[in-house]
Amino acid sequence: MKTPGKSLAGKITAIAESRKFSIRSGSLPTWCPGCGYFGIHQGINDAIQQTGIAHHRVVVVSGVGCAGRYPFFVNAYGFHSAHGRALPVATGVKTANPELTVFAVGGDGDGIGIGGGHLPHVARKDININYILFDNSIYGLTKGQPSPSSPIGLKTKASPGGNDAAPLNATLMALAYGASFVARLYAGDPRAIATAVLEGIKHPGFSFFHVYTSCVTFDKQNKTWDHLRERTHSLPRDYDASDQKNAMNLVLDDDYAMGIIYKKKGNRPEDQSDHPF
Amino acid sequence: MTKVDMTIEICGMSGDGTIAAGQLLNTALIQAGLYLIAFDSYPAEIRGFGRCVTHSRVGDEEMLALNSKAHVLISLDDEQSLSRLPFLDDEAVILFDNRPLSYVSSEKTLPAHIEPEMHPYGIPFGDLASEAMGSRRGRNMVALGGFSGIFGLPPGYFHNAIRKKFGSKDDKTVQDNIRCFDAGIQYALDHFKGLPVNGLAAQREVAPNDRLLVSGNEAVAKGALAGGLKFYYGYPITPATPVMEFLSRALPEVGGAMMQMEDEMASIGGVLGSFFAGRRAMTATSGPGFALMTELIAHATITETPAVIVNAQRGGPGTGLPTKTEQSDLGAAVFGGPGDSARIVLAPANVSECYYFTARSFQIAEKYQSPVILLTDFFLHNRVESIPEPKAKAAEVADGNLYPGPTDKDPYRRYKITDSGISPRAIPGMEGYIFRATGLEHTENGIPDYTPGLHMNMSEKRHRKIQGALQDLPEPVRFFKEEKLDIGVVAWGSTFGSALEAVKKARKEGIPADVLKISSIYPYHANHIKEFMDICGEVLIPELNLEGQLANLIGHLHRKCVWRLNQVTGVPMPASDILARIRSILGS
Repeated sequence: MKTPGKSLAGKITAIAESRKFSIRSGSLPTWCPGCGYFGIHQGINDAIQQTGIAHHRVVVVSGVGCAGRYPFFVNAYGFHSAHGRALPVATGVKTANPELTVFAVGGDGDGIGIGGGHLPHVARKDININYILFDNSIYGLTKGQPSPSSPIGLKTKASPGGNDAAPLNATLMALAYGASFVARLYAGDPRAIATAVLEGIKHPGFSFFHVYTSCVTFDKQNKTWDHLRERTHSLPRDYDASDQKNAMNLVLDDDYAMGIIYKKKGNRPEDQSDHPF
Repeated sequence: MTKVDMTIEICGMSGDGTIAAGQLLNTALIQAGLYLIAFDSYPAEIRGFGRCVTHSRVGDEEMLALNSKAHVLISLDDEQSLSRLPFLDDEAVILFDNRPLSYVSSEKTLPAHIEPEMHPYGIPFGDLASEAMGSRRGRNMVALGGFSGIFGLPPGYFHNAIRKKFGSKDDKTVQDNIRCFDAGIQYALDHFKGLPVNGLAAQREVAPNDRLLVSGNEAVAKGALAGGLKFYYGYPITPATPVMEFLSRALPEVGGAMMQMEDEMASIGGVLGSFFAGRRAMTATSGPGFALMTELIAHATITETPAVIVNAQRGGPGTGLPTKTEQSDLGAAVFGGPGDSARIVLAPANVSECYYFTARSFQIAEKYQSPVILLTDFFLHNRVESIPEPKAKAAEVADGNLYPGPTDKDPYRRYKITDSGISPRAIPGMEGYIFRATGLEHTENGIPDYTPGLHMNMSEKRHRKIQGALQDLPEPVRFFKEEKLDIGVVAWGSTFGSALEAVKKARKEGIPADVLKISSIYPYHANHIKEFMDICGEVLIPELNLEGQLANLIGHLHRKCVWRLNQVTGVPMPASDILARIRSILGS
């Protein structure tokens, strides 16, 4: 009779042999237990594994923050850059060697706060980078201050009277900047993340992924797991992701519809100019 | 045969074609086999009420600096030119429009102010241009014609220059300009006696001319191309923009590209990303842009990522003086940024060095896995010099990377502590060497770690590496041989030329003096500098900054206080001021 231990060992061996998790690095994530980033990590990893791209041909560039640590947990080349500068560095990497698959990752403070000036320009240049915005609407690594996507009224140690600035909508921003691929996703649904990221990797231009996630340590009032789980839902069945106006209307009307919101038609390799960027 | 050392100024209002006339004059003068250094000054505003002055110094030997006194003034706008009178030689030749427009009041014309010893030549620039091309716009060409006639320069030199400059436009433009020029020369020959005066070319043998007229901007850009540059990331800023414009045309021809970025943080980000991915890249900026780059430059020192950054200094701080020259970013280049962020800082002193240092910096950046900052300035970028065609040696631009080999695998230690401080650097795409570059302090494996001792070891490794770069960096150069000197001038960047000229003059006066050129600002060759200072009674460090930034950095190497000469007037330091300072220090 197999002991539970033996059966577990067998499973572990089988998983190791499948190399399903070879995209994970030897470093364990430093995120808090229950952090939404684990779900995003899982989603991106699955997508990379499904493409079959050799890991040494993948580069992950990050900014600073909890999400900035992401490159350490992936078995790929990584550049943990300065706060807000993931996109310019990723631009340099992709420009220099277009054969690499390049990801940029960062949080909401990193991406639409300190680094907010870079997003429009990567979008309008349509540089073939996959940018994943981990949006938990709070500054986590500095222990809970309001971020550019925090709701009005959010009380933190730095906003005892409630946050008084309106939140930015990163999905809407990316659409307005002309990003050629925009997806909005939920950290609690790694499968949907994997599907969208896989599409984004194949998309021959800039792909923007706005991922709603929660900070279990410093946000007990706004984007909690319960809050997100109750509200997030799929796009309408007949949704047309090729229409930018339609996409903007949807985003203006509905903060919680998740999926590939916009994918520019005709953005295929043969439509790309031979410009080295 | 008299020695030629002549300085010619053209002065006008912005829009008068002053700068264009200066360019043509320079192109014509080097055809006469003369050495040349030229520099224009102009307002920051494109078309405002600003004064434009071109300044060309020509002679029989290499021209080291500008002259503070001009021998010839060509006035395209008398009201503006009045301000130049104090800067003219006592016997200067002045060309002016003797039939100015009727609304110019007579007290604002030059003839009302010219000193008796000077030699005025009135030529109706505007009227002759109107006759020749139907518009007064050709006045600048008429003026050049007058100059050519008065000094006996063959008109062919100017005709060639005009064809070269306007040939790409259309034939009418070329012909109009030539007609205006010819009208000027004819007028001079018809109306003035005793020509040519103080001949520039006619009385001398024309040496075979293998020299080109090159600006600092062009030299930086061409040096970068020679250095294997593939990608340039930039943001427009005076005075570095011409580098970006030049490379936007040149890089596609070598399979690279210029990308204009949204700001200077993005520019340096692109450079780091490119070098990280194994391709040579650079950016050029000036003080305000450099300030924004400080963040990622410091970051590059800890991630040990190569980068090449040109800082064409202008007057500062803040937006400062966008179109004036200064050497006040030395502190920012060497020390800018948080933490102990040692990096390599080089300072070219002339146009040739702009080329060679830029070309060389890519290999150095790769070898030492460090940002290399080229500290140029407005004067260097916007001056033109006649120089032999520069050509970088293949060995100096060859791949400088130390790649990991099979024995460096399992695990690959990207930041392995070595005696030299240099650790093999993998490039994304190489199998078996995955690592992460991080701005956090890290272990040899590149994993964030703040344990006691580690930061010390890693900081020392990086420090060792940068100090070790001295072996590849240009050593200080002195010019004479004495073993004892009353005074030694230590100079860097664009001030060096003035320092050498001042020292040459001091020596003619019997003062035992020499100059030491410092090209490597950081790390610096302390032993060489100290050896030189040890033989000097006094040491003088002239700089275009108020606080003596180089003096503060290396002054401690002298056994007593170094003398300083600090100017922030926005113009290149006159050799005459350095000479005066040498005399006053020695009490002669």
